[in-house]
Amino acid sequence: MKKTIIHLTLLVSLIGGMTLPSCKNKKADTNTNTTTVDTTNTAPVVIANDDELTKGVNDATKDFPGVTASVNNGEVTLTGTIKRDRLQTLMQSINSLHPKKVNNNLTIQP
Amino acid sequence: MALQQKYQELINAAKTSEVHNLQVREQNNVLYIDGEASSGAVKDNLWNIYNKIDPDFRAGDLVLNVNVKAASGSKAKVVTKESNLNIRKGPGTDQPIVGKAAHNDIVTVLNQTSQQWWLIKTDSGAEGYAYSQYLTPA
Repeated sequence: MKKTIIHLTLLVSLIGGMTLPSCKNKKADTNTNTTTVDTTNTAPVVIANDDELTKGVNDATKDFPGVTASVNNGEVTLTGTIKRDRLQTLMQSINSLHPKKVNNNLTIQP
Repeated sequence: MALQQKYQELINAAKTSEVHNLQVREQNNVLYIDGEASSGAVKDNLWNIYNKIDPDFRAGDLVLNVNVKAASGSKAKVVTKESNLNIRKGPGTDQPIVGKAAHNDIVTVLNQTSQQWWLIKTDSGAEGYAYSQYLTPA
């Protein structure tokens, strides 16, 4: 009887020993998956303060005489007129200033 | 999550093209995509996809901040529309102009001071800060 119990204990620990590594592998797999998905990065987005943004939008709009930009609480609002072939260039500059949001209210000319 | 679905094609393109330190985050109903593109062509491709999904960038639900990284000492081309590029004493349009680089000139990037302003040197020796929008790695 005692022998059987010892055998049973051995068997249980053997199974346990066998299942544990497979569990570990499973966990490791999940970790690898999550690190490759960029969306799991939860560090908050850093928004520039209004003074930095104002200086930035002044530089960015300098060569766009028809465009006016205002900054309020991290949001950049663009008004005025722009030629369509210049819009993307301006938007690229504004988007790199770390704004909270860009409101494009520009009148676009062909 | 809805925004990530809307801009799925753009996110996929950023993942499969050479964009380093890519971050895709959603905060207060705005999607933020940040990263460093390996070339101006990669960046422009992403912007073309953005413009296709949200024509004329009207929705105000995405901040696409993918910039081109230029190594110190590397060459860059002046990509103004046609005019000369101002080289300034400091990083800001309020700074005095210390030189000019002609359209299509090749200059040396000394330092990427910020995403907006790069310290450059022309072949004729003019040195100062230029607005990075008008420079692309050559």
